[in-house]
Amino acid sequence: MHADDSLDYHVLVIGSGGAGVRAAIEASAYGDVILVSKTILGKGGCTPMAEGGYNAVLREQDSCGIHFEDTMKGGAYLNDTELVRILVAESPQRMDDLIRWGAVFDFTEANEVAQRPFGGQRFPRTCYAGDRTGHEIMTTLLERLESLSVDTLAETTVIDLLKEGDRVIGALAFDDSGEVVLIKADSTILATGGGTRVFDISTNSASGTGDGFASGYRAGAELIDMEMIQFHPTGAVYPTDARGRLVTEAVRGEGGILTNTLGERFMKQYDPERMELSTRDVVARAIATEILNGRGTENGGIYLDVTHLPRKQIETQLPVMLEQFLKFGVDIRKEPMEVGPTAHHVMGGLRISPWCQTTLLGLFACGEVAGGVHGANRLGGNALADTQVFGKRAGEAAGRSEKRIKKIDSKQIKIQEERFSRFYDGKVNPPIITKQLQKAMWDGAGIFRNATDLQATLAKVMQLSESNLRAISQRNLLECCTVQNMCLTASLICKSALLRPESRGAHVRTDVCLSHDAQHSPFSHTYVSRNRQGIERTAFV
Amino acid sequence: MKTLTVSVYRFDPIIDNSGRLESYSVEVNDGARILHVLHNIHDYIDPTLSYRYCCGSGQCGSCAVRVNGEPVLACMEEAQDNMVIEPLKLAVTKDLVVDLTENLGAIASLIPKAEFVMPTKEQIDRIKPLRSCIECLCCVSVCPAMDVTKFFGPIAMRQEMRLSLDPRDANDRVSEAVEEGLFTCTSCQACWKVCPKDIEIPGKAIEKLRALANRKGLTLPRHQEVAALIQSTGRSVTRSEPTFLEQVGDVIEPNGQVKGIVGFFVGCMYNMRLPKTAFDAIEVLRRNGIRVVIPKEQVCCGSPLIRTGQLAFLDSLKRRNIDAFVIRGIDTVMTMCAGCGSTLKNDYRTPFVLKDISEILTTYGIEPPARLPIKATYHDPCHLLRGQGIRDQPRSLVKMVVDLVEMPSICCGSGGGVRSGNPDEAAALGNRRGEEIKKTGADIVISSCPFCEFHISEHTDRPVKNITTVLLEGYKEKDKVS
Repeated sequence: MHADDSLDYHVLVIGSGGAGVRAAIEASAYGDVILVSKTILGKGGCTPMAEGGYNAVLREQDSCGIHFEDTMKGGAYLNDTELVRILVAESPQRMDDLIRWGAVFDFTEANEVAQRPFGGQRFPRTCYAGDRTGHEIMTTLLERLESLSVDTLAETTVIDLLKEGDRVIGALAFDDSGEVVLIKADSTILATGGGTRVFDISTNSASGTGDGFASGYRAGAELIDMEMIQFHPTGAVYPTDARGRLVTEAVRGEGGILTNTLGERFMKQYDPERMELSTRDVVARAIATEILNGRGTENGGIYLDVTHLPRKQIETQLPVMLEQFLKFGVDIRKEPMEVGPTAHHVMGGLRISPWCQTTLLGLFACGEVAGGVHGANRLGGNALADTQVFGKRAGEAAGRSEKRIKKIDSKQIKIQEERFSRFYDGKVNPPIITKQLQKAMWDGAGIFRNATDLQATLAKVMQLSESNLRAISQRNLLECCTVQNMCLTASLICKSALLRPESRGAHVRTDVCLSHDAQHSPFSHTYVSRNRQGIERTAFV
Repeated sequence: MKTLTVSVYRFDPIIDNSGRLESYSVEVNDGARILHVLHNIHDYIDPTLSYRYCCGSGQCGSCAVRVNGEPVLACMEEAQDNMVIEPLKLAVTKDLVVDLTENLGAIASLIPKAEFVMPTKEQIDRIKPLRSCIECLCCVSVCPAMDVTKFFGPIAMRQEMRLSLDPRDANDRVSEAVEEGLFTCTSCQACWKVCPKDIEIPGKAIEKLRALANRKGLTLPRHQEVAALIQSTGRSVTRSEPTFLEQVGDVIEPNGQVKGIVGFFVGCMYNMRLPKTAFDAIEVLRRNGIRVVIPKEQVCCGSPLIRTGQLAFLDSLKRRNIDAFVIRGIDTVMTMCAGCGSTLKNDYRTPFVLKDISEILTTYGIEPPARLPIKATYHDPCHLLRGQGIRDQPRSLVKMVVDLVEMPSICCGSGGGVRSGNPDEAAALGNRRGEEIKKTGADIVISSCPFCEFHISEHTDRPVKNITTVLLEGYKEKDKVS
């Protein structure tokens, strides 16, 4: 591995989910672009798994103002208002791009893009392609990408960002056999998605290991609101090995109801107005409370029921759900699903400007790895919109950046080489550490939190991050690096959770008494970087 | 928790000359999927095991492997004891990881028209069934045509059809599809049956593309000849000897008590090329109490037209066939040609029930024939196994008269107009069948489709016989002994 032996591009995009591919498409108008994906192109991120939909204001009766208010209220007013304004204003245009590129969204009888109701929204503004909306977007984006001259490196995993002084100038990656690839770039875009795989029960694909949070942090970027983890209310609870699998909010959007083992439609006690279509933080806590109070099923869930809906509606609007549950022996047309909360989305992430510039020169971030858009709780349907709106912005901003001559500091390479050689001499198989980490995070940094547990969890995470990991072959080096990313991401979550002495949105501190509502909180973003950490204050003191 | 013993294909190109199966014993939770077994091996037994996975919920298509020979998504199918896990039938990179680049690269992309045209709901609804593909390549792994000829494969055909339905797309997808091997598909339906998303590629993409190709004048000349023959004679083959229908009576009464009554749809091949086989079937039915009603005005079922996309006068054939049985008040129509049976069951709307002869014989039960001292293998006709879901009935009949040695269920190459349109491909697939037959060491090959019987007989030195012929031989032997 020599510093001279490297690829050189104008823009490097890391991640092939919705945000990454959208960014690469946009950036390709400005210069040579390379897209690096740790999985087969387009299969790895959470975008292809996103089921429910994409929020966009498309009708006269709706307005961007209402979408803005819904998003802010849903986010417990922790959102960066400028980012939200951009999200709601540009989401319809990005939907238009997708339609122009061939996306096959469901249409109404009037030949318009159809929309369904989703939680926390006053207008049914969630566009969808059955319950495979993200997959549809991903397919469309990949087809578009293919018609452009973007280079791609699939099954190549970025291990760390490369720097020249304070500036990010590319990344070091492993190919699928563990060989190092060095990529220099005038601008680098992190579009690595989220990291809720650090929890025992999670909806995320195998790639949701927080690599972008970790490598951004190590490079010196600042992250905000990392304590804000969305627990999706409805994940599968059986079979054991597949628990956490997402059961889309569209099930409730289509009219699904939640009941406990006493047959009570319990949401009336938690949010009588919005019921099942309350925001995700509220519904997830309601379900967790019902289960904690002994009104859950044997498998540790509650019931989500669509048997009262017409068969045809289930078959055409929720085909993936129908198929998945049938595979696990449940016909949702005839019997209720058993569901429970599951770690779903990281609202926090790298601090970005409206043009996705992080706090580091040369580094942009978009999609789930960026923070600020969704505040303390994301609305269903806003994540797919986020990937397209900020993916385009990141691609454009990175594309417009200056071309420059870059020199990789060989010291950085040497440090990595030493790290890898330690793995060869290590003792512990990485998956052992992963499991301990996931268990610790679920138990101590989950839906209900307190300082004592968070501190204990943080200590455990720090201990695990010191594990003497073992790579049995070159191909296994990657696993060691990934576990270290997971430990680092988990530690950022715990630290940030300790920094926020209030309950807000998805973050619930049972050891703190609230004397303010979210709109009048004295606190704004938490922030963590290698140099500083803390919580910002607002005017309400 | 439970303990499973599984075999997993291992191959590391750096150290191994060839792959091997390795056996593992793993402890997994109840309901564990195949993927969880692989995780278990990787996490606790051998960290060097390579396999792909990602979403864990059947949506990304990364984790397709073959389990006991059948392609499946590892994350969705439940793990079973003694299963054999192998990579898809593609170039293996390592262990269960295969090279997907070429096949994924063969999938066309939408090219937007200069002037944007918004699709209608109707167009969207027609595209949707072809859109849920997760590109797992299970279909490519089982496609027989791709093994022997230049064919971009079912996944590429699906996409060409999806694009041809889209008003936003600028390209001529039909001509592209023809270039990419549209007419090499044998309509064996293996791709559809293994598709985790149940996308009916043969019927909803390939036959539709062939129909569009027909409108552009791209139908193969040999297929046009067959269509012209059907149009002028009502039959897909020429008359070279007295036909079955010319020789047989209108109603055949059984020897003893009437257990059941069926109308008999003979089909062009048994009527005109293999009438003796049809008479064998009649003998077996008579002996087992079935009254057989045979309308003489029946014509070709239209299968050769549907499979090759020539639909202009199809409806008149359908009407003639349906009327022939309806005016005789028949409520069950029996086919003995797998292709006719599949067509009548799947492409017709009939006021009567359709049954394959093996369903009729097993439903009413047959007198046991004498056992013949030979070993036989059974060839599953695609249009019987996959077209009609009939697997067990023929086998139970075969086993009454001979010893059965199984072989893999793979297309013989005669279907989908390939025998006439692409004879080299048909011969290559036929030869592969011949090799499989040889491996079984069987004395005879039994099947239940005139196309398969005819085609396979050209590619094996063993006699190829219809099930009813072998049953009749069993009865003759029995009569001789008594």
